[in-house]
Formats: sequence, C-alpha cells, structure tokens
Amino acid sequence: MEQLINIMMVVILLTNLLLLGSSRLGTCIPALGFQGILLGLMLPVLLLSPEGISIHTLILVLISIPLRGLLFPWILFRIVKKTNIRREIEPFISYPVSIFLGMLALVLAFWMSSRLAGTPIPSLHPLMLPVAFYTILVGLILIVSRKLAINQVLGYIVLENGMYVLGIAFAGEVHLLLELGVLMDVFVAVFVMSIAIYRISREFSHIDVNQLQNLKD
Amino acid sequence: MENGLILWALLIIPFLGGFCCFISKVRFIQWIASIVIFSMLVLSGIAVWIIITVGSIEAAHGWLFLDTLSVYHIALLQIVFALASLFGKSYFPVEIAHKAFDPELLPRYGMLWFSALGAMNLVFLSNNIGIMWVGVEATTLLTAFLICIHVTSQSLEAMWKYLIMCSVGVALAFIGTMLVGAAGSNLKAGHSEALLWTFLYQNASNLNPFFMKMAFLFLVVGYGTKVGFAPMHSWLPDAHSQSPAPVSALFSGFLLSTAFYCIMRYLPLVEMATGKQGWAMEILVFFGLFSIMIAASFMVFQRDIKRLLAYSSIEHMGIMALGLGLGDIGTFAALFHILNHSMGKPLCFFSAGKLVQIYGTNSIYKIRNAMKITPVWATGFFLSFLALIGMAPFGVFMSKFQILKAAVSKADYISLIVFLFGCSIVFISALRYMLLVLYGESESHIHPQKAYKRDIFLVAFPMLVLLVLGLYMPEFLENILQKAANIIRGY
Amino acid sequence: MNVNFFIPTLFAVVFAPLILGIINRTKAFFGGRCGQPLLQLYYDLFKLLRKGATYSKTTTYIFRLGPMVGLVCALLATTLVPFGSQRPFISFSGDILLFAYLLGLMRFFTVIAALDTGSSFEGMGAAREVHFSALAEVAFFLGLISLVKITSFASFSEIYSTSFANLWDMKSIEMILIGSSFLIVLLTENARIPVDDPNTHLELTMIHEVMVLDHSGPDFAFILYGSALKLWVLGSVFVQTFWPIRSGCVYLDVLFAFLSMIVLGVIIGIVESTMARLRLLRVPQLLVAGAALSTVALVLTMR
Repeated sequence: MEQLINIMMVVILLTNLLLLGSSRLGTCIPALGFQGILLGLMLPVLLLSPEGISIHTLILVLISIPLRGLLFPWILFRIVKKTNIRREIEPFISYPVSIFLGMLALVLAFWMSSRLAGTPIPSLHPLMLPVAFYTILVGLILIVSRKLAINQVLGYIVLENGMYVLGIAFAGEVHLLLELGVLMDVFVAVFVMSIAIYRISREFSHIDVNQLQNLKD
Repeated sequence: MENGLILWALLIIPFLGGFCCFISKVRFIQWIASIVIFSMLVLSGIAVWIIITVGSIEAAHGWLFLDTLSVYHIALLQIVFALASLFGKSYFPVEIAHKAFDPELLPRYGMLWFSALGAMNLVFLSNNIGIMWVGVEATTLLTAFLICIHVTSQSLEAMWKYLIMCSVGVALAFIGTMLVGAAGSNLKAGHSEALLWTFLYQNASNLNPFFMKMAFLFLVVGYGTKVGFAPMHSWLPDAHSQSPAPVSALFSGFLLSTAFYCIMRYLPLVEMATGKQGWAMEILVFFGLFSIMIAASFMVFQRDIKRLLAYSSIEHMGIMALGLGLGDIGTFAALFHILNHSMGKPLCFFSAGKLVQIYGTNSIYKIRNAMKITPVWATGFFLSFLALIGMAPFGVFMSKFQILKAAVSKADYISLIVFLFGCSIVFISALRYMLLVLYGESESHIHPQKAYKRDIFLVAFPMLVLLVLGLYMPEFLENILQKAANIIRGY
Repeated sequence: MNVNFFIPTLFAVVFAPLILGIINRTKAFFGGRCGQPLLQLYYDLFKLLRKGATYSKTTTYIFRLGPMVGLVCALLATTLVPFGSQRPFISFSGDILLFAYLLGLMRFFTVIAALDTGSSFEGMGAAREVHFSALAEVAFFLGLISLVKITSFASFSEIYSTSFANLWDMKSIEMILIGSSFLIVLLTENARIPVDDPNTHLELTMIHEVMVLDHSGPDFAFILYGSALKLWVLGSVFVQTFWPIRSGCVYLDVLFAFLSMIVLGVIIGIVESTMARLRLLRVPQLLVAGAALSTVALVLTMR
C-alpha cells in the first residue's frame, strides 16, 4: 500500500513535468484529467489502511473524480474545438526552459516542505507536502509562461489541484461542506473562464493573452 | 435562535432575489430589486441593533457569526449596494436608449448583481475561514461578467485580467488559510471547529507562530491582490475603468473592502500568536505606503477619468492598511476611513460615470464645462472628489488626520512623511483638472441635461453623511467603531 | 592476481560489435527484411583494418589522433564498469566521474577531429553533438549522483555490489526514474533514434555520422569499434541499474548480464523501429526531460 501511494505521488510529479514540457493541448488536457483522477483516488487510498473509508470521503471522491477527471478535460476540449487551436507555438518561456524551471520548482518545493517538516503537522504521507507545493508552483509557472488563454486555465486547474493536496496535507479530512464549497468555486471558475475565452475568441479571433494590451497607462 | 435567523436571512435573501431576477420578466425586476434592497436595509438595521444590545450572535453551530466588526461592514455594504442599485436606475435607461445595453439581458445581470451581494454577505457572516475564502472567490467569479456588460475588446481584456489575477491571488490566500489551520493543529480540535475564527481567536496565543507568519504572508499577498495593494494592483484600474458606473462603484466602494475585511480578521490572530510584536502590522504598513506611493505617481499623468478614480481607490486602500498597521488609534481611523471611502467613492464613480455617458469619452481633456451641462453631477463629482482627497470639513479629512496622529504618537516618521507626501501629490494632481472639467470652454455642442430628484438624492445623501461625520461623530457610531477596533487589536 | 577482474573488459571487447548486429537484425525483422548478418560489424572492422587511410591535405595531426584517443578512452571505460556482480579491473571511490569524463574526452577528440577537417558539414555535426551531449551530461550526472546518494558509495563496483538488487524493494520509484533517464542518455550518446538516425545519409539532419565522414580505413574502424564499446559500457550501466539480477554465483550473474545486454539490443531495435526521429529542435526538450527525471529521483532520495 505504501508503495502504491509512493507511485501515485511520483506519477503526479511526472504529469506536472509533462504539462510543462508539452506544447500539444491534445497531450496536456488528458494528462490534466489523469492527474485529477489520481488526486481523487489519493484520499481513499491514504485512508484505506488505518480506518476504512467514511461516507464523507466517498461523497468527496464521487464528486471530485468526475469533476477533475472528466468534466474539466471535457470543458477544455470544447474550447479547443470551438477556437480550433491545438497547440501553443511560442510561449513566453520555451518548453525546455519551462522544464528546467520545473526542476528548480521541484527542488524549491522539497526545500519548503523540509522547512515545515520539523513543526507538528499531522501529515498523512511524507510526500504530500512537496507534491502539493510542486503542483502549485507548476500551476503558477504555467499561468505566467503561456500566452494562450486556454493554457492559463489549464495552469489554474493545476494550481487548484495543488491546493487540494495541500488541504489534505495540512488539515487531513477537512469538513465536507468546506471541501464542497471549494470544489464548487473551482468548477464555477473553470466554467466562467471557459465562457470568457469563448467570448474573447469571438471578439478578437484569437486567444493570445499577449495581444490583449489595449489597456495601459 | 430567533437571533440566528437574521443571519440566515441576510445570507439567503440576496441569492433568492438573484434567482427571482433570473426567472422573472424584465418589467418585474425593478420590483424584485426594490423589495430585496429594502428588506436588506431593514435587516441590517435590525442586525446592528441586536449586536449593539447583545454583543455577538451565531447560527448553524457557530458556522455563521456576527460581531461588531462584521455587522459594521454588512450595514455599510447594504447602503452602498442600495445606492449603486438606485444609480443603476438613472444610468441604464440612457444606455438602453443608446443601444449600448440590451434590456433582455437584465435578468441575467440582475442575478449576478444580487448573487455578488450574497457572496459578499457570506464573507462577512461566515465564521469558518475556509468558507470565508469560498465567499471571496465567489465574488470574483460572480462579478467577472459584470465588467463586460458592454462587450468591447477593452472590457473583455479587463475581465480576463481580473479573472486570472484575482483567481490566482485568492488561490494563494487559500494556502494561507490552510496554513492557519495547520498552525492550530496542536489544539486538538475536531474538523468542524478547527477552522472557526472564534475558536482560533480564543486560542490565538497557542497557535504556532512560524506557521502563522507564513500564513499571513500568503494571506496578505492573496487577499491583497483583491484589495488592490500595489504591486498586485494591475487588474484594478482596468476593471474599474471598463465596467459600467454602478458596477465600478460597488467594486470600489465595497468589493475591495470585503477582501480587506479578511485581512482584518487575520491580523489579531497573527499578532497574538507572535506575541504582539507588531510583525504583521509592519507588513501592512509596508503595503499601505507602497500602494499610496504607486497610486499617487500614477495619478499624476492620468488622462482617463475612471482610471484616475481607480488609482484613488488604491490610494485609499493603502491608507486603510497604513492605519491598521499603525495600530492603536490608527485601527479606529482605518475603520472610520472605510465608512468615509465607501460614501465618497461610489458617488465619485456615479458622477464620473454620468459625465462619461454624457460626453461619450473617458478622456479627462474632453470633459469640459460640466457645471453648465449637468450641474447636479458636476457638483457631485467636485464635492466627492474634494472630500476624497482630504478637504477639511469632510469625514475623510478626519480619518486621515487620525491616522497622522497615530503615526506621530508611534513616532513612525517615515510613514508620516511618505503618507503626507503621497497625499499631497494626489491632492495637487486631482485638483489640476478639476476646474477645467467644471468650467472650461467646451467646443462640442452638448445640451444641458435634465436632473431628476433621484440624482439629487444620490448626490446629497453621501455628501451630507460625509459632512456630518467630518463635523461631529455620533456616539453610537463611535461605540461601534471602538468595539470593532478592539476586536482587531485583540483586547 | 585474479583473472576474473578482466571479465568485464573481455566481454566488452569481444561482444560489443555483436549488440549492433542484434539491433540491426531486430530492425530488419520489424521491417520484414532478412537483414545483414549478425556479425556484420566484425567483418566491416576487419575489412577496414586491412585498408589504408586517406588524409586530406588540410588536416593536421589532430585528425589522425582523434580516432585513436577515442578508442583508448572507450577501452579504459570498459575497465571501470562491473559486469553482473563481477568487479572490474579498476575500481576506486569516484571512478564514476572518471568514467563520465573518459566518455567526455572521447567525444571531445571526435569533435575536434571533425572540426580539423574544415568541412562545414562536419562543423555543423560537431556543434550539434556538443549541444546535445552537454544536455545529456546533466541528466547522466544527476542520475549518477542519485545513485551515489542512494547507496552512499561513489564507485561503480561498490554501487552495483551484491546488495544492489535489494534496493529495488525500497527505492523502486527512484530506480525507475534513474533508469529511464539513463535510457535517454544511452540513446543520445550513441546517436540512436529518437535523437539521431544512424542510418541516415542526409547531412543536414545527421549528428554523429556526419562528423566521421572524412575518416577512412583503420581510423574509421577505430571509430566504429569505439562507438560500439561506448554503447556496450553505457548499456551495461543501464542494465545494471534497471535489472540487476543477483544469483550469488559470479559466473551466473555474468551470464545473466550478457543475456540482458542482448535483450537491451533487442529493445533498442524495437525503439528504433517503432519511433520516428525527433525534429532537431525537439531533441533538447527530450534531454531536459531526462534531466528532469533524474532530478525528481535525486530530490526523492534527498528527502
């Protein structure tokens, strides 16, 4: 069981690297969905051995896996279809450099969690904290380094995934109501952003954020 | 229990109103809005009265909670919201006549408008800091489409910046929230009360100081993005300048304060956990001064009238942060300043919005001779702007003066000098255009506009409040402010 | 003196060209062809050795030195890597660095020999070779460092000691990551698909092959043999990391290792038959990804 969780954690790390290094949305979006499914499975797998799965966890899993694993990729694929943009040609930061930044972020994430390790937090697994920080950092890198609006949404979802892991790492089982509230916010955020992208693509006939610079001082 | 009902009512009625707007016909919306706004005003009045007599109330097993600090904000919010909605009545008919707004979309925007109110109320009412975060994020998402009611490329750009920057910023605040939860993990709380603010407040001195410091950094940067602290402010001028005037009035008048309120809630927790050494307050002083300076320097060469006001909002948020950071009388002054700002700034945006509507341009160089064309709104713009930059008989002057006093009594002369310098730059750069806007010769042939009674009320009410507050502080208000300040000071 | 110490070198010297034969046969099988004989490279080497060399008038002694130094470096490298559980001839703490730099020196001489011809094509190939191997070296070193970190030894023979197989129980994730990164390094360093196509003869896209166009006769034989040895040593490092089989008996281990090398040849053949060569611009991305895999492994071991 321990080994299984370890493998899940490392696979989450690797999906992050894949997201950083791949230009094709056709690769990135399924990777994101895969990451979402792994995240959804993480809590039950973590809790499986000591105490069994509670109703609370079950509800959360039943909502979060379809949401993160299926609905978000579906929404993103719809945007891809509508805007007919399949890959980002020239991001602000080129793909090899993004991967390199991702490596630095990995070191940073482990350093940060080692700083926090001495203090008393009831972490369920030693790898959770670094994975959470790393996913958050990768989300931020994605948002900052990409020009396409859809990639920023992708980065936002990655960021939220990281926050979800962080929530589990810090607070263990948070109250169901709070979890559902956060999930609802994330869902609405992705929904609103996708509508926004659709409108932008209709108005500008592109979704390149770099070219949105009418408003300046 | 019956006291608890009012919390539920405050929370649910706006959402209910939003839902009714969405399903109703266009011509009924006006009535729905009037009913909701009126009942919200009455309810918040009752809530203030209850809080003055009882102290604090809670409902839903302590998940909803109201004390002096939050009831003060809630009451202000309802007033600002009512004013903004009322102004919408004199703003949108003209837009519809110009074919800039499709009345068929009214139900949809009405829903967003009232739901945004509901989300802000949720922020003030929730005792769980996680739910508070959910509320702040919800306000971002619900107000995003209000920015681009006029679908232009600029407004879409502003909306996208707002959406991405605030979502990411608020996401950082979530990390801070979780860190606060982790800081309290040695308190052995169950998971329903671990994130309750009252619980954390009672046990604040036992929270892990290292975690609280980390958390506060994330929270200030995260919620600070929404407040508009420099250097996270870049979305703010865009969003304020592109959204229609009632929306920008609500944004500036209270959306920013809503995020600021969250920081206020965390300040005593961090201060008590770190042994009241003023660590967190210094951070607020830094952000406050930095925002004042950035806002002042951008106001000097600003040509867009609404962007000018947006930068003024950044400046005022900086002043509030400065007051909170100086502590003591500064805390009181910061709270007082929120009241003054949320009276003055919406009026300023109303008048500016009207001027923009009449002249058809945002450029301050093209708005001339306003006093002749629309005397009511020109007066409103002039007076509210004078009040906001700190002219003497108005309330803003008093709160700024108290912050100065706080800085002097704390012997914090750097803050004093930066604050005075920033304010004087704002003062000069704002007055620069004022006379030209009011009296300058206009080349275009714009006919003088008719003034409604509603317009006169919208101008007179905030100005009267500001004038009264500048001359005389009612005792009950002073009590409320003092009690709220004590909550922040952690007594 | 124990003769067993020469086993790793002996195997390398004798069987290195065989691996290339296996790769070619696998590719031929996938292509539905009969393919060249398994021992083709041996025939080629003998043929080349019997020929005379031609030297261009513009070249200097560096051009003649290149292949010899390369071969010597490769031979020295074979004496550093254990085979199965058999310890190599030379072994000291830090020999992994010597190993990496021997390969570096070999590449350096190949590159300056290519530059010495003054041909623009060879210069281009040299530039690409240096570019890619600079990135591959990062991945290789990070992988080696993680291995050192896991085992707390800095010598190949200590790292791949008999207890190495047990590490797979505890550190399987790290091992998979390091192994994958080594595979990328192996394919890059030996100019295989997806980085470089050894069969291509279009100078614009060639990397390694283009550098050795001007070598002939025994010099070319040295180069071919040197690269076969390089493939063998890097391959055995990869094999040792990825499936270290320890039976207890040294000779049995050696036999297993030899079989593993043959399997590796088949795997490379399959990779080459199923994948397309990456565009040149995408190669750095692959290599940085390899380095990233090593970094993940390293960071995981550090915690």
